[in-house]
Amino acid sequence: MDTKIYESEKLKEKLYYKKMDSGLKVFFIPKKGYTKQYAIFAADYGSIDNVFVPIGEKDPLKVPEGIAHFLEHKLFESPENNLFEKFSKLGANVNAYTNFNQTAYLFSSTENFFESLSLLIDFVQNPYFTDENVNKEKGIIAQEINMYQDNPGWRVFFNCLQAMYNEHPVKIDIAGTIESIQKIDKELLYKCYNTFYNPTNMVLFVIGDLAFDEILDVVEKSQKNNYEKAEEIKRILPFEDKKINKKIIEEKMMTAAPIFHIGFKDWDTGLTGEKLIKNDLVTNIILDILFGSSSTFYNDLYEEGLINTNFGGYYTGKESYGHSLIVGESKEPKKVYEKLIQLIQKPAETLLLEEDFNRIKNKTIGEFLMGLNSIEFIGNNFVDLYFTDFLLIDYLSLLEKVEYKDIIQRFNSHFTEENVVLSIINPLE
Amino acid sequence: MELSLKSEKIQIGNGINLNLVKTDKFKSNLLSFYFLRPLTKEEATKNALLPLVLKRGTDEYKTNLEIQKKLEENYGANLSLAINKRGEKHVLRFTVETVSGEYVSNKEYIYDVFNLLKSIIFNPLLEEGYFKKSYVDQEKENLKRKIESRINDKRSYAIDRCIEEMCKNERYSIYSLGNIEDLPKIDEKVLYNHYKDLIKTSPIEIFYVGHYDDNMVEYMKEMAKIERKNIISIPREQIIRGAKTKNMVYEDLNVNQGKLVLGYRTGIPYEDKLYNGLLIGSDILGGGPNSKLFKNVREKESLAYYVSSTVFKYKSIMLIDGGIEFENFEKTIDIIKEQIEEIRRGNFTMNDIEISKESLKSSTMSIKDSIFLISEYFFSQILSNDNRSLEEVLEDIDRVTKEDVVEAMSRLTLDTIYFMRNTKVMNI
Repeated sequence: MDTKIYESEKLKEKLYYKKMDSGLKVFFIPKKGYTKQYAIFAADYGSIDNVFVPIGEKDPLKVPEGIAHFLEHKLFESPENNLFEKFSKLGANVNAYTNFNQTAYLFSSTENFFESLSLLIDFVQNPYFTDENVNKEKGIIAQEINMYQDNPGWRVFFNCLQAMYNEHPVKIDIAGTIESIQKIDKELLYKCYNTFYNPTNMVLFVIGDLAFDEILDVVEKSQKNNYEKAEEIKRILPFEDKKINKKIIEEKMMTAAPIFHIGFKDWDTGLTGEKLIKNDLVTNIILDILFGSSSTFYNDLYEEGLINTNFGGYYTGKESYGHSLIVGESKEPKKVYEKLIQLIQKPAETLLLEEDFNRIKNKTIGEFLMGLNSIEFIGNNFVDLYFTDFLLIDYLSLLEKVEYKDIIQRFNSHFTEENVVLSIINPLE
Repeated sequence: MELSLKSEKIQIGNGINLNLVKTDKFKSNLLSFYFLRPLTKEEATKNALLPLVLKRGTDEYKTNLEIQKKLEENYGANLSLAINKRGEKHVLRFTVETVSGEYVSNKEYIYDVFNLLKSIIFNPLLEEGYFKKSYVDQEKENLKRKIESRINDKRSYAIDRCIEEMCKNERYSIYSLGNIEDLPKIDEKVLYNHYKDLIKTSPIEIFYVGHYDDNMVEYMKEMAKIERKNIISIPREQIIRGAKTKNMVYEDLNVNQGKLVLGYRTGIPYEDKLYNGLLIGSDILGGGPNSKLFKNVREKESLAYYVSSTVFKYKSIMLIDGGIEFENFEKTIDIIKEQIEEIRRGNFTMNDIEISKESLKSSTMSIKDSIFLISEYFFSQILSNDNRSLEEVLEDIDRVTKEDVVEAMSRLTLDTIYFMRNTKVMNI
């Protein structure tokens, strides 16, 4: 059978891999001396997958906003209605999350790992939706949506996405709206489930002081094998114009000081695997040089009282979308924006010095290494990278390959005045 | 399995201890200095301002820019300065975490980072004998804005407000960042004098977690070589047994979701035998997804997305909080009270107790996997004068009986109900 072992001497970590007959891929990183174990079972299915051809059908279907997240809530149902109790009894802490690209089910434990793993696989592979339990969930999710509506940080972020994107579903709130979730019923949930929760569209990642053989035994015994043979899932994304949607979005809500997001929409999309991750690294290094706490821009604006320590920039990129966000809190967000526009007009060579690049690269290496102390960090990042066709274990060597010339090139194409937007949340009077 | 977690304590000065935890498990090392202060209205704002100013510049690294560059050069060493409220104690923490030398083939650079931390704590940038005025002025403004920004996180704001109202006449009501009214009275001189006093008189606990040798221990001892005379003693928290007055507080804000907080006096100090029973009781009531509140408020009635119960160890209070529709205020309170009654009447199973014990033990054991939590754990043991090993802590959790839980929960008295609402959109 095809078991593979990847080893990184630099990281002093090993990665085990096996593809099961069902098509499910299982990965494992041993962590000697760790008390906790962590397993994450994830589907390549997120909020942006809202138009697709359901398995066994021919025509594309547009589903209500927020359904991937709704489905995540509902998978915790079982006929006996005691899933949480079962996990709790094993001492395992079970949870789940849905983002733009994935839905992940996970638990951490300090004992009874294998029983918990078996339970995890079992509940994710056995949906139990009824009209009653679907309707009951609407009230709970409505409260979750309300909670986010009161969160200025969340609102300023989504307004920024709204400003950047015209049609791309990344602009839609992951949980949907109180109105959109009313349209969800059990039939639709089963359609989404059957399409996206096929083992070939999923990955299982395990980490802890464990043995791979035993993990595989449990997976083999617990998993279901009677799946419809899956073809490649047809996901349909709308055409997204390069142009931004709106230059500026302002809103008022209960917040102390104005907060802002400045977004640069990425035009160079369509990348996957190593190219995508390298682009991500390169862009994040640029943002750190320009706007990080050791940048001239940061320190000048801080001295002027225009920003505080909450200021910074980061890039997110996937195959179909990407953006840099520069975020913060300021009494005058528009002034920060103007200064930032002035900054990016300068030639790349004067803004991005080689010594700054080397220092920030060092920092990025160190931060990644320290992240590897946390099994949750490893698990969540593993899954995220895996779905873009990249293995976490190769991350450091890729990072080391990033060169100074890469950042100069990227700066010139990404940071322009045409693709920048501004989102502000102002306090109520 | 790994050996049990141990910390070796060395007294290295008057009121200064160095605590060493040896481990090779992590890819980094961590060094933390904790300064203990009493939580008082008089010094809270100054304590909160201090780390902000110290982080701006030192005698050797005069600006934030120089400090940040130094950290980045050293593989992104992580510097964190914090001020926290631990019961009625105010704790200043200065921490650096660095990648272990073996991963970056440079074993000596850790001394560079230690030196930076020392510089930040003990050798601040001075101007005419005091802190640099512009740094203090800017950080006063930043602190003011930070305090104002409390409102941005509605859930934690609601909890803080409930505590403020509930403990109105106790020191515990003091906000960990102090308050805006005190800021005008503080200038570079006042703050510097407070700093000198703090360095001279605070009990100091230093923690190092990671790999070390004799050289490093000597270096750390040298770092904190300071002349000191009278170390302050910090009083234990005041405990109120039973609520004297019942309090109902409404706060009207422009929000979509109501935030409900119920504040209970437990009357059970952390030294008490019943304390573990209280922890288990609170967990059965509102700990995780198996709890009574999760099952009844969320799953059965669909009233909330989150609802939970938390024990505040040092102050002997317990808070229940949830995010609900404004209209469901009374209904939710009724269910919460009813669920507490259920536990008091003994209407829970041995299975419920087992589940809560497992959960509590599991999170206690998980501490071993986090370099930061290891130092926080040993520090909290010092704060509560607790000499038990981690294993003994786990055994004590196991010993809790059903009677303990009933007894502990029976001692709860409701003191304050806080409700954040929006009367503009309510149908009343």
